[in-house]
Amino acid sequence: MYNSAVRGRLIEGDKSLGQISHEILAPVHAKTPGWWYFALLTALGMLGFGAFAIYITLSEGLGAWGINNSVAWGWDIINFVWWIGIGHAGTAFSIFLLILRQKWRTAINRAAEAMTVVAVLAASLFPLLHMGRPWLFFYIFPYPNTRGPLWVNFNSPLFWDFMAISAYLLISASFWYFGMLPDFATIRDTAKSKIKKAVYGIMAFGWTGSSREWLRFEGLSFVLGGIAAVLVVSVHSIVSTDFAVSVEVGWHTTIFPPYFVVGAIFSGFAMVLTLVVIMRGLYKMNDFITDSHIDAVCRVLIFISLIMATAYLTEIFVAWYSGSPYEIYMFFQNRIFGDYAFQFWAMFVSNALVPQLFWFKKMRRNIWVVFIVSIIINIGMWFERYNIIVTSLSRDYLPSSWVSYSPTWVEVGFFVGTIGLFITGILLFFRFIPMIAISELKSVAKFDKPRNEFKHAKHE
Amino acid sequence: MNKDYILGVFKDEESLVSAFEKVKEKGILPVEVYTPYPVHEILEGMGNKTRISHAAFFFGLFSAIGVLAFMTYAAVFDWPLNYGGKPFNAFPSFIVVTIVTTILSITILTLFTFSARAKIFPGKVPEIIHERATDDRFVMVIDKDSLGNNAEAINSIISEFGEIE
Repeated sequence: MYNSAVRGRLIEGDKSLGQISHEILAPVHAKTPGWWYFALLTALGMLGFGAFAIYITLSEGLGAWGINNSVAWGWDIINFVWWIGIGHAGTAFSIFLLILRQKWRTAINRAAEAMTVVAVLAASLFPLLHMGRPWLFFYIFPYPNTRGPLWVNFNSPLFWDFMAISAYLLISASFWYFGMLPDFATIRDTAKSKIKKAVYGIMAFGWTGSSREWLRFEGLSFVLGGIAAVLVVSVHSIVSTDFAVSVEVGWHTTIFPPYFVVGAIFSGFAMVLTLVVIMRGLYKMNDFITDSHIDAVCRVLIFISLIMATAYLTEIFVAWYSGSPYEIYMFFQNRIFGDYAFQFWAMFVSNALVPQLFWFKKMRRNIWVVFIVSIIINIGMWFERYNIIVTSLSRDYLPSSWVSYSPTWVEVGFFVGTIGLFITGILLFFRFIPMIAISELKSVAKFDKPRNEFKHAKHE
Repeated sequence: MNKDYILGVFKDEESLVSAFEKVKEKGILPVEVYTPYPVHEILEGMGNKTRISHAAFFFGLFSAIGVLAFMTYAAVFDWPLNYGGKPFNAFPSFIVVTIVTTILSITILTLFTFSARAKIFPGKVPEIIHERATDDRFVMVIDKDSLGNNAEAINSIISEFGEIE
């Protein structure tokens, strides 16, 4: 099968298989570093603040938020879409790059999947709390009830969304977990302490690495990989229909599903880049996540950034070409040159222009530039959702329903809390789970040795 | 480890595959081969087949039919509600939920199938043949009784590429 020589070496330093497991497992077996406790404490502090904001939301009701009748979706839905977007990295990385036979994915997919699970978890809190009475959330599930039974509206994108997010969370979590079984077994067999052996032994589900297990494991990965590819496209398409099927200026367009999917993958890749750069810095994983890995992600980002720019320009063009005064008002007078110009241009510059820096190899190889650009994209993608949600809702068809919106500290606190949740999750991941898929990395290690290349290439 | 087995321990994939092929030429199939990552020559050579993708197909087929049937039953027959004058049987908009639920069912049922067939489940006590088989060693397990007159030949094949333990 096709084996690209363009990417450079997958693992630096000509490592033996033993060295690969030893070096990747070093953080799991080592003593917990001091900064880790400090970071965890900070993250838990943020999480606690978020929990307090949630307490206020539950005890006082949604009135504690800045949302109102016109702008019924505020920071909660912005942050929901933002987190879900970030949560697209895992599937995009593991599945798309698997289908495209990109072997460099093996160094990054575990981190991307971990991020996905935590991000989707964070995202799912927002619609839940927005329900107002979250303890009745099961009303959205079509279960036999005593109200008729009165079923849910299967035509509603909000119901589709509920199904899509729950399914996505379950699927990405189980895909991630089963992918880790061989690595948990490696920890079990290399650990010195008895407690560690026992705990990881339970987590490994009795994995031994026999050919019977591997055969079915491969079959399982094939099936899950194949069907989860649909999820990359479907989840955010469904999120976009929450907007696109409502007759709202700036929302009611057919470009929304692809536009949202691309945006989601864009923000997911940017967050992966942020995470991977931090991982490299903190744990010296440079030999596994090499400069050419970072380079490859940056190149993907240029490509997606160009699609984003095309989508933005298409939206603007169609608004003008439609001749609808409302659409023209929304895009030209409200977004580009109006009250929300800052949010629009923050989005446009960060997502469409700044990533173009990656055309230059010097920029792709400068880890600080890469890190800062990835953060800028994350912020830019947040502004994109702000731009879509708040500008449209606050400037409706009827000027009488025009309002302004600003979040209260409760909404901000809730968002800070989910960031705390995300960081907590990532820190636990860094400490207790092999950050890189060891068995997958071992299986591609042979491609760095030229004498093997031809013989084994056909099996990948 | 039962003493009726010979363990051939190899340091890399190539030696394992070469030894495996030579052992098979002698007409002997190892009982099991343990590797740190999937080696396709071994998976094919051991002669086992997995039908997990067939199973997944049927899981998908049945759940797709089931979900569509349920939605049609609920929205068309059991309690039809008029949502903005749209038809009760809004088939195209049922498809979204059908796809998502089908994928979810396939995933969960395939995981259970994998768990049952590969005997990988929470609480299982692993039979660890060789401590380093999940790290950096490739281990071939051969039943001594199956050797017959070939015992010498097999021993020399294993020693040529790896070690006997």
